[in-house]
This record gives sequence, structure tokens and C-alpha cells, in this order.
Amino acid sequence: MAKRETSARQTEIDLVPDAPLYEQVRDRLSQMVLARDLSDSTPLATEPNLMELFGVSRGTLRRAIEELVRDGLLSAEQGRGTFVVQEERVRRVVWQRLSEVARPDSRFDLDLNQYVPDFAGSNLAHKRVMKRTEWKNADVVFCAPDNSIEQLRLAALEAGKKILVPTYGLRRGFILLDGTKIQKTDHALAATLDGMERFGKRLGPGDLRQAGTIDLVVTGATAVTTDGRHIGGGQRYLALEWMMMKQLGVLSSDALVFAVVHDCQVVDEMVEAEPDCLLDLICTNTEEIDVWEPRDSAPSKLRRIK
Amino acid sequence: MSGVLSTDQYREQIWAELAKVARPDSRFHWDFSSFICDFIGSEKCSDRVLELDALKNRGNRQIFITPDNCLEDLRYKLIQRGIPFVMTTYGIVRGFYRLDPTTIPVSDHHYAATLDGFDRYAVAMPLAELQKGEKFALLVTGGSAVSNNGVRFGKGHGYFDFEWAVLSELGLTDSSSVVADVVHDCQFVNEVMPAEKHDVVVDWVVTPTQAMHIDQSSRQSGRVFWELVPGTEFEHLGIVAELRAIQNLGPF
Repeated sequence: MAKRETSARQTEIDLVPDAPLYEQVRDRLSQMVLARDLSDSTPLATEPNLMELFGVSRGTLRRAIEELVRDGLLSAEQGRGTFVVQEERVRRVVWQRLSEVARPDSRFDLDLNQYVPDFAGSNLAHKRVMKRTEWKNADVVFCAPDNSIEQLRLAALEAGKKILVPTYGLRRGFILLDGTKIQKTDHALAATLDGMERFGKRLGPGDLRQAGTIDLVVTGATAVTTDGRHIGGGQRYLALEWMMMKQLGVLSSDALVFAVVHDCQVVDEMVEAEPDCLLDLICTNTEEIDVWEPRDSAPSKLRRIK
Repeated sequence: MSGVLSTDQYREQIWAELAKVARPDSRFHWDFSSFICDFIGSEKCSDRVLELDALKNRGNRQIFITPDNCLEDLRYKLIQRGIPFVMTTYGIVRGFYRLDPTTIPVSDHHYAATLDGFDRYAVAMPLAELQKGEKFALLVTGGSAVSNNGVRFGKGHGYFDFEWAVLSELGLTDSSSVVADVVHDCQFVNEVMPAEKHDVVVDWVVTPTQAMHIDQSSRQSGRVFWELVPGTEFEHLGIVAELRAIQNLGPF
């Protein structure tokens, strides 16, 4: 049996003897990363420094880092060091905050990795959307299948709009619902993921044009930045949906993107994160952040996506 | 057990048949291992359940329903008739809830019968609260497969076994409690299967074409086999902690 590393050595961080050392190092490292300042894009401390900090061997440290790389939180770059994947870090920081105000999903409960939750106060954010003339004038609205905008989907149906909603995970195409063709008493059900397929028409990518011209895109998010980047779950469904709609010409040329989020999901400008798509307006439970202006001065990479 | 096929072979055969009549889930789509699906004809099953004596003659006793998709129509019909019922959330993660139809406007009856809508109207029932209520006259579950002696098998059936065990530990079931399993005809296996000690054998198998009664007069009352719980999906459920507290067992 190999000689067991001990934390009896004088180190700065105490590890307990009853769990595998690399797991403890992994968890502590993860906590350190999440506690960093959001704008901090410097690499992690060097290997020797981290070995000293935790009082572990190179092998143990590397194993811990490898796990976090596989997990998406860190990226190891040959010769440059180990970096934090900002986007993933933002997700995790926001999920921690969001769990305080999130409403459980009917299937995923509070496993925020799986879905975008509704939150306490979402009705206030919805009101901000509904006050906008772009909302009032939109005939066809693309609505993400996020729980945080279920009540907006309902409002759209009640206002006689058409809404285009992807099925969860885009696995079974899009559903097109027409508020004028669904009975009033069915609107609440039609606005849910459980109910929408009973009242809408299923459209595959090839049929998307039947939706008409989309004037407005409304989405929830895992996080948004104050300069208008949308950060979804790791799967980037919105980016994919956006691209499909764009290529098929169903998005009107001046289509706008509104995000509905809780305050705790808004983060300040962040380096290196690639947005799913660019936002024009962020509506939260307490404020409205108009990000039209910054878009003009956004880096070219961002404009291209838009 | 005649054992023509193994339970795994039955399950594969059944899933292939079920796929032809199943309705996908809003989150899990066709992944039958993650949910108990609705199927074409489930409406006929609910009509048969509504005709069961256990329901019609329930008196003050309660009704329990699992959060299975094939029971949505039954939930809707109970709501329409003003009959309250108790249900768990998906995976029992948030425990037991009670839905009182008098709190639901008519326009939302369908909505409240879905898992997405249920939360809007149902009220959480901590076990200590639930225990103060009447015993259960009828418990209805869906299932992946059921044998002709009323043994349910296949993935996902363990949740109801556990719900039954917990309700029984609370003194909410007795020998007159009736258990009905709602399945498509293709989920019924005309064979005798052995029951594990924690399996709940069912009194009724209800399909779109028939309601079969199975004599379970020798069914033992349910109990939680605590030694089987550690390491399962049940170990960290809120209701496990609640039940252990009620029984002065202390945490695991």
C-alpha cells in the first residue's frame, strides 16, 4: 500500500482524513474559484503553490484539477496555466443565488442544471415586458420553454398573439400556438410545457416558415450580463434556435430579444464568455435594463452573432 | 413462476409495444425509464376507476394518486367531480400534496390535473399533518408492467411501493384499502410473478378494455424496510426524515 499523504504537515488548508484527498482538494478548489471576483481572469496559482496550499502531492492536485476540467469549470492550457471558465463559473454562482428564489419544476424540482426556473417576483418582470410597445405590437413572439416566462406565454395567448415555443431540449421540434384559436379556458394549460402540445401545431425545422415573421424573442436565462449577453444552460439551445430562425428567414430584420430574469441573475460585464445571443432588453423583478446602446459598441464578434 | 421470459425481456417487449400507443412527456419525451407514460385509451381507464366501489363508497376516506402521466385524465375527472385527492410530487422529492377541487376555478380544471399546474393549487401535506386525516379508501398508480397476480415490475414501480409503505406506517391504510394499477393492455403480463417483500400487490388492473379484480385478501399491511433504504433514491427524501422523526428513529 502506498504511503498515505497526511495533512499533518503544516498547511494553510485543513483536510479531513475520512474522504479521498483529491475530492477534498477538488471541492475546496471549486469553492475558491466560485468566490473569486467576477472580473478576475488571471490563471490559478501555479502547481507548486497549490500543492503547498493544500499540502498534497502533485498527483493528488492534478487529479483534482482534471476533475474540474472535465466538469467544465477549469481549462488547462499547455504552458500557460490553469484558467477558470468564466461562463461556467457565472452559471454556478448564479445557480447558488437563484436557488433562494427559484420555484421548483414539476419534474426537475430544483435541479437548476436541467431547466430555467420561475422565480419569486417574476410577475413584476413580466409587467415590464408587457408595457413595451414592441410587445404590444408583436403578432408573433418566439417564447423559450423556460418556466420563468410561462405567465408571459399565457399573456401572449390572452392577447391573441401567436407564440412559437421549442419543445424542451428541442427534441420534438417547435410548437406554434395561436391565441385566437385556443379557447380562453384552455389558455393557462396551453402556456405550460405539459399542455402546449395539445393546442399547438408541431413544426419541424422545415416548417418553421409557417410561423410567419417573428417580431420579438422572449427568453429566460441562467444569467445575463449588463452589456446584454444571454447565458443559457451549457447546451446553448437559444443560440441554436436563433440560428435556425435566422437562416430560415422567420426572424424579422429588426426583431428584438427580451430577457426575463431575477435580479440575482444579472452579472456585470464579463470577459471571454460567448453569448447564446445578444439581448436588447433585460426585465427583472425590480428594473429594466435597456442594452440597445452598448450593442453598437460591442466587439465585432458579438455583432456578428446578432 | 412459470418464467417464460425474464422480467428484463418482458420489459423490453412491453416498451416496444408501449411506444406505439404512448404519449411523450413534456420533459422526458420518449425516455420511458424516467417517467410512467400516458397512452392512448387512458381516458377509458379513468372511467373504469370512477366506477370502482372503493371510490364510490369511500365515505370520508381519502384517495391517493401517483404523479404518473396516465393518471392525468383521472385527476381531471376527480377535480370536475369535486373529489379531493392526495398526490406526491415527481420522484416524491417534495413529498405529499393535497388538492382540493373547490379551490380551483372551472377554467383551470385541466391545468390543475397536469404536473405543471398541480403545484399552483395543491397544498403541501407534511406527514404529521397527513397522519391526522382519514385512512385511504383507494390508491391509484400507473405502472410499467403488471402480472396476473398483481405484482408490478419494471423501472419506476418502486416509488409507489414506498408511498404505500409510508402511508401504511402512518396508519393510513388498512385491509379495506384498495390498490388499482392503471396500465395499457400491452403492459399486462398474463403470468404469475413472485413478489418481493416490499412489493405492493394490486387489487385491480385497469386497462382501456377491462378492469380485472385480483384477490389480495392475504396482503400484509405495508411497512418501510429501513435496512433497504440507505443507498437508494429514497434515502435523502424529506419524508424519510419526517417519518423517522415521527417514529423516534433519529437520522440515518
